Amino acid sequence: METTITLAHGAGGKQTSDLIAHVFKKHFSNPEFTADDAAVLTIQEQKLAFTTDGFIVSPWKFPGGNIGKLSICGTVNDLACMGAKPLYLSCAFVIEEGFPLDQLEEIATAMEKTALEAGIKIVAGDTKVAGKGQVDHLFITTTGVGQIMSEAHTSGANARPGDAVIVTGDIGRHGCTILLARNTYGIDAAVTSDCAPLWGAVESMFTTDNNIHVIRDATRGGVGTVLYEIAEQSNVGIRLNRPAIPVDPAVKGVCGMLGLDPMYLACEGRLVVFAPKKTASKLLEALHRNKYAQNAAIIGEVTDKMPGKVIVTTEIGTETMLPPPGGELLPRIC
Amino acid sequence: MEQVPAKNEMASHSPAWNIITSYNGPKVRIMEVCGTHTHEIFRLGIRHILPPAIELISGPGCPVCVTPVSFIDEALLLALEHHVTLCTFGDLVRVPGTKMNLADARSSGANIRIVYTPLDAYLYAKNNPEQQTVFLSVGFETTVPAACLAVKKAYADGLTNFSLLTANKTMKNAYRALKRSANAFLYPGHVNAITGTALCESLTQEGISGVITGFTANELLTALAVILTKTKEGRPFFYNCYPRVVTQDGSKTAQSLIAEIMEPCASEWRGLGIIPQSGLKLQPIYKGFDARLRFHLPALTGRSDPACRCGDVLQGKCKPTDCKIFGNRCRPEHPIGACMVSNEGACSAYYQYGGNL
Repeated sequence: METTITLAHGAGGKQTSDLIAHVFKKHFSNPEFTADDAAVLTIQEQKLAFTTDGFIVSPWKFPGGNIGKLSICGTVNDLACMGAKPLYLSCAFVIEEGFPLDQLEEIATAMEKTALEAGIKIVAGDTKVAGKGQVDHLFITTTGVGQIMSEAHTSGANARPGDAVIVTGDIGRHGCTILLARNTYGIDAAVTSDCAPLWGAVESMFTTDNNIHVIRDATRGGVGTVLYEIAEQSNVGIRLNRPAIPVDPAVKGVCGMLGLDPMYLACEGRLVVFAPKKTASKLLEALHRNKYAQNAAIIGEVTDKMPGKVIVTTEIGTETMLPPPGGELLPRIC
Repeated sequence: MEQVPAKNEMASHSPAWNIITSYNGPKVRIMEVCGTHTHEIFRLGIRHILPPAIELISGPGCPVCVTPVSFIDEALLLALEHHVTLCTFGDLVRVPGTKMNLADARSSGANIRIVYTPLDAYLYAKNNPEQQTVFLSVGFETTVPAACLAVKKAYADGLTNFSLLTANKTMKNAYRALKRSANAFLYPGHVNAITGTALCESLTQEGISGVITGFTANELLTALAVILTKTKEGRPFFYNCYPRVVTQDGSKTAQSLIAEIMEPCASEWRGLGIIPQSGLKLQPIYKGFDARLRFHLPALTGRSDPACRCGDVLQGKCKPTDCKIFGNRCRPEHPIGACMVSNEGACSAYYQYGGNL
């Protein structure tokens, strides 16, 4: 077998089946993963969550993960936010001609490991090969199905005045990691992506107290964007306590140098949770027992004042508005 | 619910805090020169604790904001008629020229690349020898050394396809030009890290007062408190409230690099007009890297939108919110004036942080 991906690997012939057998089947094997045109799933008469997401990340490998792990976490976390236990996942690869096979296997291995941890089965897939230069190494699209827990009614429109706002860990690490991994700024800092599957954290919250109003994963756009979306969807105001927002010192340092706000850097393993204050303190205890949420913190509360706006109490006790999301993140130049 | 500290006790109960909040002297106008100061003052909500007698005005310290329309027009000419590859800091592509901005030019096929340092532009030129590459060199003493280094490397390599369109500026004469706009300046800590304290210190002899400061809550509050206390005494003053970064001499390496590659010249500032000896151009030995000479650019006079009051904002003559187009025709996603473009621009900061909230 060749050591790099060729156009023949995507042509549907022997090389394609070899690739599937040697890389994908090897790592994604389970009873529902068959050679048929579609997976056959048995799902009880329950409400399902169904979601899809495309993954393009440059570089494809970064401290704390790679595009494979990311593609599983992204979809698992979208399901988890709906209170849905992740069940089945399909993945579609678009791979650039010439991509080394051992690296593809590294990606598949990360997917296998992450899927196993998240309890989701990879049951269908597709592989296409694009000519050299047509894609940046490889793109992955994953689609997932999950079973919604009967007691889960989370939606961005459910935030209510009096709710506490929880973030399940320090913010902005994934975005910061990718910025540094691109090596554009000549900054070296020990920052690792927060990329993680969060079904375990969500399940532990529901087992503790199911009076949870909103769960969102703060991916592209970061925690700031998610908070503005929820403030708008629920027509409420949000008041944050900036000193309570967990930020890794290295992330803070990089943001300080570049003039960026960690509130708007992407996370890939952080949830924003809204629940009544009494529930929130119990949820926090449960989260602290989860390995991906040990730094979970209450960062603010929901108010009925200034609906649609996010207000920040600063480290010196003054008030200011969180700048609304918008535009590209650009480092300062002076 | 877990208790979290409501505020940084040090900052909010410090002597500086008390001096500022209890100030009841005559009206004081303080100009924050640096765009990052403007942004941090908003981010920390410092304006909300100021008594009415203290007025903060945002000066000309954001390189994008002070870049005149004519510079954008020159860049457009290079991109569209001379078909060069323009390398530029990201913010600059959205600054309006007379007819369009660089983002519009890119949509109509101009080759415009965003870079994060002038060295990236030099490397692009080196790797693409068939392509004339021009770096749009804006910025103060903080960014100039990197541009000088790019020229020095290009000279050593004998590159004939790399040049700078310079609009670099130095602060000293801008302070003189703005002398009457404010009682005191919050001097830009980053710039002073390069230039040292001597430059600002000597300005007290001309009746110009100010304090160098950093960017944390304590540094900013301390600097404001010092200004209020010293203004009451009625004599011109200078203090360095950022000694952990700014020394008396500054960075000799950066200074000698600038002096080796560039020399002072008159420069046009948006809103302030032409200020003598306030800009930098390439030394005669490096003039082969001057894009204006290489492409024989004509002298251009840019024209900004007549409703835009960026010029008045930069001189502290009005607040961004006094401008008729602020927040309606002119917004961060569609800026009419340069001060709405960059995150550090006064209009953008006012807009993002909710005007007068």
